[in-house]
Amino acid sequence: MGSSSTFSWPYFYQYPPYFTRQPVKETADRQSSLWGSLILAYCKHHKLYVLSPSEDIPLWVNKDINRRLAPEAAVSFLDDLVAAGSALWLDGGAKARCLVLWRRLPDVAAAIASWAASYGMADSVMLLDELAAGPEVAGTELEGLHREVLLRALQLLEAQGKVKLFKGATPEEEGVKFL
Amino acid sequence: MRRRPGIAGIQRDVATREQYRSAGEEVRRASLQQMKAQLVIFKSSLEAFALQHKADIRADPVFRAQFHTMCANIGVDPLASNKGMWAELLGFGDFYYELGVQLVEACLASRQLNGGLMELGALRAAVERRRGSRSDPVSEDDIVRAVRKLKVLGGGIDIVTIGRGTYIRSVPGEFNTDKNKVMELAQAAGYISAGQLASTAGWSSQRCERVLAELLKEGMAMIDDGAPDKLRLYWFPALMPQQQQ
Repeated sequence: MGSSSTFSWPYFYQYPPYFTRQPVKETADRQSSLWGSLILAYCKHHKLYVLSPSEDIPLWVNKDINRRLAPEAAVSFLDDLVAAGSALWLDGGAKARCLVLWRRLPDVAAAIASWAASYGMADSVMLLDELAAGPEVAGTELEGLHREVLLRALQLLEAQGKVKLFKGATPEEEGVKFL
Repeated sequence: MRRRPGIAGIQRDVATREQYRSAGEEVRRASLQQMKAQLVIFKSSLEAFALQHKADIRADPVFRAQFHTMCANIGVDPLASNKGMWAELLGFGDFYYELGVQLVEACLASRQLNGGLMELGALRAAVERRRGSRSDPVSEDDIVRAVRKLKVLGGGIDIVTIGRGTYIRSVPGEFNTDKNKVMELAQAAGYISAGQLASTAGWSSQRCERVLAELLKEGMAMIDDGAPDKLRLYWFPALMPQQQQ
């Protein structure tokens, strides 16, 4: 978890009406855009990858002004992020778990490729778990990468012919070969 | 027996009246000339004053406001024309023209936020940010003058008084007395409910709903259903305290 004490909240977070979905389209569009940016910034600061619309986190609940963003509203703003390519629902239509791509997948993929090149990983095979948290990535920008993000970034690289993904018998045995 | 005016008498009266009339005109003409001479003296004194204090007038908003008052007392409007003596003398035309452009930009930039109604202090602060720290400071008085100038040019911009506050309205459409009243009543808290509005203003609930709906539609109001008692509140971004804008 990143430090929560230094996150600076935008002005609208302190203004109660923003915690209610607005009926007027122009206002609602702006509201969604503001919340979308906040969601990305919040997740980036705290290195969060998965959000649930109904969880009890400061993002949805501002105790200072006694307001909580209703889960339906949170779902709506997350839907808009999904439409913009900055998020993915992990559970299909249930919409209880959302993968937040505060770092774009192509950027993550490029970071992996660049790491692989500088570590001379050509022709090497690694388990996904190692790639997410092993000693080789300690201190690099790949450290702590959420498995779902890692997997999708590797899928991008696979489509580019830079890696080959292997499914093991168990998820722990999923691996990747750098080409 | 009364003397009757003879023809000579009548002619004499006419001549006398004529004398008075031409004498009167002489006096008028002399007064007018005197006045014109005085005005010329005034004007050149004012010009000399303005030239001598040009730097102060540009740099100090309070001094500038006093200068305007002095001009107004003499019946001179330095902003009357962009061209001509004043514009060249002080660059006044440029100063207020530039200010007009900047304040319109500031209004436009925040229109989405406050529906086109911006508190004067907040507008001044926004304009100062645009101008940067190294330019001459501007006062609320300057903003008001620039807005008045824009109004004359038909800019669709206006000054609105709501309760104790002064706001600049930069959207077309009517800001009628009902809307003004709603915002005035909401001014202290920044919000109001339909019920509070009805009881404080003494309006029917239809009238309340209608005005609130209009303000919502124009982007000047936002709804809040998150209050502890679930009572729907209407908030007005234009009434937000300055530091939050």
